[in-house]
Amino acid sequence: MLHHYQNGCWTDNKPAVPPRGGPDGRGPIPPQPLATPGGSVDRYPAPRHGVGRRQNEPAAVLRGCFRGIVVTNQPLCREHYRLTLHVAAFPPSDPGQFIQILCPLAPGAADPPNAVDDGALQAKQWRLGSRPPRFTDPFLTADRPYLRRPYSIAGRRDTSTAAKAAGPRAELDIMYRVIGRATVQLEKLTPGDEVSLLGPLGHGFIRSDHLRRALLIGGGVGVPPILYLAERLASWGIAAVAFIGVQRADLLPLTLIADHPPATDHPIERPCLMEFARHGISSILTTDDGSLGIPGRVTTALRTYLLAHRQFDASSGVPELFCCGPTAMMRAVSQVAAEFSLPCQAALEQPMACGMGTCQSCVMKYRPPGALDWVYKLTCTDGPVFHTADIIWS
Amino acid sequence: MPSVATEPAKVPAPAPDLSVTVGKMRLSNPVLTASGTCGYADEYADFTDLSRLGAFVTKAISKTPRKGNESPRVIETRAGMLNSIGLANIGLERFLKEKIPRLERMGVPVIVNIPGWTVRDYADVAERLDQAAPIVQGLELNVSCPNVQDGLSFGTDPRRLADLVATVRRRVRRCTLIVKLSPNVADITLTARAAVEAGADGLSLVNTFSAMVVDVETARPMLANGVGGLSGPAIKPIAVYLVHRVYSQVAAKHRVPLIGMGGIQCARDALEFILAGATAVAVGTALFIDPAIPGGIIDGLTQYLIRKGKNTVREIVGTLTMPETGRAGEPVAPP
Ligand SMILES: Cc1cc2nc3c(=O)[nH]c(=O)nc-3n(C[C@H](O)[C@H](O)[C@H](O)COP(=O)(O)OP(=O)(O)OC[C@H]3O[C@@H](n4cnc5c(N)ncnc54)[C@H](O)[C@@H]3O)c2cc1C
Ligand SMILES: Cc1cc2nc3c(=O)[nH]c(=O)nc-3n(C[C@H](O)[C@H](O)[C@H](O)COP(=O)(O)O)c2cc1C
Ligand code: FES
Repeated sequence: MLHHYQNGCWTDNKPAVPPRGGPDGRGPIPPQPLATPGGSVDRYPAPRHGVGRRQNEPAAVLRGCFRGIVVTNQPLCREHYRLTLHVAAFPPSDPGQFIQILCPLAPGAADPPNAVDDGALQAKQWRLGSRPPRFTDPFLTADRPYLRRPYSIAGRRDTSTAAKAAGPRAELDIMYRVIGRATVQLEKLTPGDEVSLLGPLGHGFIRSDHLRRALLIGGGVGVPPILYLAERLASWGIAAVAFIGVQRADLLPLTLIADHPPATDHPIERPCLMEFARHGISSILTTDDGSLGIPGRVTTALRTYLLAHRQFDASSGVPELFCCGPTAMMRAVSQVAAEFSLPCQAALEQPMACGMGTCQSCVMKYRPPGALDWVYKLTCTDGPVFHTADIIWS
Repeated sequence: MPSVATEPAKVPAPAPDLSVTVGKMRLSNPVLTASGTCGYADEYADFTDLSRLGAFVTKAISKTPRKGNESPRVIETRAGMLNSIGLANIGLERFLKEKIPRLERMGVPVIVNIPGWTVRDYADVAERLDQAAPIVQGLELNVSCPNVQDGLSFGTDPRRLADLVATVRRRVRRCTLIVKLSPNVADITLTARAAVEAGADGLSLVNTFSAMVVDVETARPMLANGVGGLSGPAIKPIAVYLVHRVYSQVAAKHRVPLIGMGGIQCARDALEFILAGATAVAVGTALFIDPAIPGGIIDGLTQYLIRKGKNTVREIVGTLTMPETGRAGEPVAPP
């Protein structure tokens, strides 16, 4: 059993110094060596291969290539959309895991082009290329996506047992912000269209035995995995508060509840966002320009909140932080976590090509607890979730 | 009731033979993975059946572990991508300990890609693999990685290349020795000939093309390393041309097999390379989009051979007919 949160991780060693290490009993814990030499504390769950499988049972499918059928593709705010996909026999997934979507150019073009004798496919490509271009035609200027794009799973609903006859089916939500060549294509998807997806990839947020209370911090396009986590925490009966930060009111991809406007001056949680309130989770909302909720950065609100709730009583436990968002935001959250000696996990978003651990493009700098030197880890397979105490921000 | 057999019973045509030989390696089919795009071993096992491959080519394995370049290491471009991974890898000893057992379970011949900065780097790794790992049947010398400044010189200077290949040749007894050529040279036939005459059993081509993407907002390159290597469909026509040139000028005469690669995504792409002179082909960047592409190519090749009435894939290698006015391997007219 792991009992003590120390230097950014849970260990079974009694801390050599009191948990709050500063001179006044507050502040960050001074770094200290861990019992295991070389810092080889295993803080991440082993891959789930073969878990609970009997000897002659076929291995459960853990991830793979699937076909998703578009159920809905709805705008949520000025730039964010929610895409809901029906995926047959999608393996179990965790909040923080992601899928790699092949953003199709035209309905049907999602099929991998490996059929040498497929005249239909060829005809389609030919038509695409022979559209008469005009001088200002985007055909000449637009870049088309080539690689897949990673998107965090933002929610999931599995079909009830009654409908199982048709085989297990999952409804997966992803949320995307239209910013580039792939997302402009996603925006064009309509119900019934097909997309190819790989998943579930990476490993998600880690539930420690000590988790009693969670603070969820989502910034901008980092909201999706936080939403999925909220859903999961509710099913575990873990209390949580969500801190959501966006640039402007019109970039909030979530639904406001009219009766419960968000606090505007001090970080007081209210059931103001539908997506969280549905799971009994209250929220604190910030906007950079002050057009909604509390003006300023989400990390400032988080810090003020923690200062006000400094005395974490024993029964509710030490809160754990879970964050996803722009790198600068996650870095700031990790600083707040260090300041208050709170465990914190972050879902990183590094540029990716494969998402399957082969191309070595998605590296992040990782320092295992107690170790002096850093190593590169792959965000796609070693992450995307890491303990922030292990991350070297660049 | 069906009439009593007047028609001769339909004998199913035997499936065409896809097997090929590269040096001492007998491959069940000519479809390989390209180094650096398929990991060390079984990373794609959940997405495709790796045992169908003709051979598996690993990520570059250097004598000591390498961290590689800063991030961002990849950037997408029209019809392809640039990478500057910087040959990040776990190093030879960890590879032998952790990955070789997994490769053994995969059950296909393995070719290990070897980078290096001195002749000794290459020779030491090659010798160790030759002796320590029976599953490794081929060694591919990566003399062409355009990302590491020193690495470039072996692949661009025929004399240094010949020296390197001859030295490694002397220290390798069992494995097939393949040299992966750099396309970043004025005349690829010079380095191809140097490698073959120094004792290479096969050549693979091409590696990535040195390239750059500029962020116009910041007026800086998009890759942390500044420059990278271009791969994907964008390079395919050049790669096909280079395979044709090396085949017609060097390989056919010396009876040295070629492994063609560069933007292969479907059986049609693979066939272009085979007709131009490649005995085998490798799928690279396209694996990032769909790791199952090699299986699709194997099926497509079979269909093509049946349609063309061929019994083996070997009989179509290099059977491209060039316009008669042009000398083999030379442009018919100045492009
Ligand atoms: C694990 C993970 C999870 C993710 N989850 C989500 C999610 O849930 N929702 C979400 O919306 N996104 C998510 N992302 C990000 C997402 O994968 C894509 O990066 C995003 O959708 C952009 O795709 P695009 O093709 O539309 O943009 P791209 O065309 O790739 O452009 C990306 C950015 O780069 C800029 N850019 C591109 N080329 C150039 C150039 N030549 N010069 C200057 N600037 C350039 C663009 O302007 C844009 O700002 C996630 C990423 C990871 C790694
Ligand atoms: C991300 C990436 C990593 C690569 N790493 C290596 C490598 O380690 N050694 C090597 O010889 N070639 C390496 N290559 C080159 C490929 O093996 C191949 O020669 C090239 O990408 C062209 O084929 P393609 O267009 O099918 O990808 C790499 C290519 C990519 C895209
Ligand atoms: S995205 Fe390719 S290794 Fe992580």
